[in-house]
Amino acid sequence: MTSHSKQIDQAIANKGQQDSLAAAPLRVLLIDDLPERAALVEQGLSDAAIVHTANQVHGRALLDLIAEIQPDVIIVDCYSPGRDSIESLRTVAQNNPKPIVMFVEEENPSGFQQAIDAGVSAYVVDGLTPKRVKPVIDVAIARFKVMDGLRTELKKTKDDLAARKVIEKAKGMLMHKRGMTEDEAFAAMRTMSQERGSPMKDIAENVISILGLLEG
Amino acid sequence: MNQHNLAIGFARLSDCAVLTVAKERGLFEKYNLNVTLKRYKSWAAMRDGLANKVIDAANMLAPMVVASAAGISPYPEIFTSSFAFNLNGNAITVSNALFQSMQHISPDTMLRRPLSAHGLKHVVDVRKATGQPKLVFAHVYHYSMHAYILKYWLASAGIDPDQDVELVVIPPSQMVDSLRAGQIDGYCVGEPWNNTAVLAGLGHTLITSSEIWSGHIEKVLAVRHSWANQHEDIHLALIKALLEAAVWVDSPNNRLTAAQMIASAEYVDAPLDEIVSSLTGKNRQTGGNLRQDMPDFNVFHRYAANFPWISQAKWILTQMVRWGQLTDDVEFDAAASSAFQPEIYRKAAAELNIAAPTINEKVEGAQEHAWVLKEATQPIAMGANQFIDGRVFNPAEINSYLNGFSNSSASRASEASKTDIEVQLN
Repeated sequence: MTSHSKQIDQAIANKGQQDSLAAAPLRVLLIDDLPERAALVEQGLSDAAIVHTANQVHGRALLDLIAEIQPDVIIVDCYSPGRDSIESLRTVAQNNPKPIVMFVEEENPSGFQQAIDAGVSAYVVDGLTPKRVKPVIDVAIARFKVMDGLRTELKKTKDDLAARKVIEKAKGMLMHKRGMTEDEAFAAMRTMSQERGSPMKDIAENVISILGLLEG
Repeated sequence: MNQHNLAIGFARLSDCAVLTVAKERGLFEKYNLNVTLKRYKSWAAMRDGLANKVIDAANMLAPMVVASAAGISPYPEIFTSSFAFNLNGNAITVSNALFQSMQHISPDTMLRRPLSAHGLKHVVDVRKATGQPKLVFAHVYHYSMHAYILKYWLASAGIDPDQDVELVVIPPSQMVDSLRAGQIDGYCVGEPWNNTAVLAGLGHTLITSSEIWSGHIEKVLAVRHSWANQHEDIHLALIKALLEAAVWVDSPNNRLTAAQMIASAEYVDAPLDEIVSSLTGKNRQTGGNLRQDMPDFNVFHRYAANFPWISQAKWILTQMVRWGQLTDDVEFDAAASSAFQPEIYRKAAAELNIAAPTINEKVEGAQEHAWVLKEATQPIAMGANQFIDGRVFNPAEINSYLNGFSNSSASRASEASKTDIEVQLN
């Protein structure tokens, strides 16, 4: 049994390579147990994409399939049991999320806007025709790219802020407990960071934990 | 009086018993509720349905509500709960092949009860040394008691669940098929999906979740904060109907009838033979080849089972931190009391003259035997509350509890460079 995470790492490493193959057809993974709807999607995408259909593929086999074909977009029935497995994959491989398009047949689909805000790229309500399939998926991918960019940016800003807080605290402790000046404290941590090739935040966290322990 | 229409989500698991009984015995009508039950095959779909108002309430994994309260689910701070459906009820089952290699490699540890994961650790070590692939274990969702109980059991024997084995998520009803197909080596799931594998001769149940942490919360009645605020009376009526059902299900005399109800096609849709032992607790497999009566395998009402303990929400938060889902600067108090709101439970219990705890937190894992909870409207008989490794969780000392785990995602990351820096600083 191969490791999914390893394959995902590999995929991330290959990403640059993939980007250069911009003309390559879209790889779509379609998870839908309704054969009529699946056929409709395949028909709508026939010229523009390679569609892998995964009916009745569940659990670990589904994860293996995703790792193997590395789809550009996953289309899934909103009630498919495979959703939990896909979500776990997204949690583990936060670096490599996929745009997801979901089919839903609900009485009040407008409520699903919230799901879109939560990371689903598109909810497709009934009335799907072959002609509509491609545009829906193009929009989903485009929206995903924007959202993903925003998410990455937000995460970086948050991380930076958190790191700054930790570094300030460590600096304060070094000044207070080791009698260093502010500049000396900062320089000491920067040196450690450079020597070890680890981020300032990690160094600062360890400084806090060690000085805290000595105190206690 | 007008009836209120409510839609409630559930999954194909025997811990839908209270919901089923409330419906089948007309308890919802008694409280003027017209309830439609909607069955889900995916926790994510149930969560989306609840968040997006397709359903009004759900028989949901307790950690999903806690995750929302802690802001790490796709729907931050949306869900809350004032009613717990049950305690315990999950188990860990492995394939015949894995069970045999545990017996072969580590015969001594296999005789201990409850079965520790030390035998499994030997298998893991041997596989590593001989270059075999990692064992694959499944649980049902990344925010579930199944995940935390499985990881707790593995880690208590020195198996790092993030590195020494591979963990995957598989919906409960597909566990048995995945085991049969050889895609996984074992899993932690609710019933009847352990018993089904045992009866089909596909696997062995090594340990039940009540032996890993006796008295752990399992499913809760999840609702939206906004709904609970707007519909206080309906929420209260719903909890009262469920409380009455829980009292009924918990009586040993009614368990067989309850098993018959949930076995039917519209609920769990599984043979009665597979379901019955998960409700009666009789003739249950544990230890891989032992069958015994476990009256507390599933607890639906006694031991204050329906009370949403803030301390248990906090324990769930500690495991989220331990396994890298949350950072340790999470506001434990705020998140836990947004997730669980015991005051609403107390109100419902008082109206039914059912004893309720007057405290929100207790020390978890400190009760080897049955005990009496005196901080309650009337004294409540409580069951044992113990972790398999004897650890005690005091919600007032979360940091020291977390620091006590050597194997955690957080400590692994920083431990390596710490010693190094220590030398330099001193």
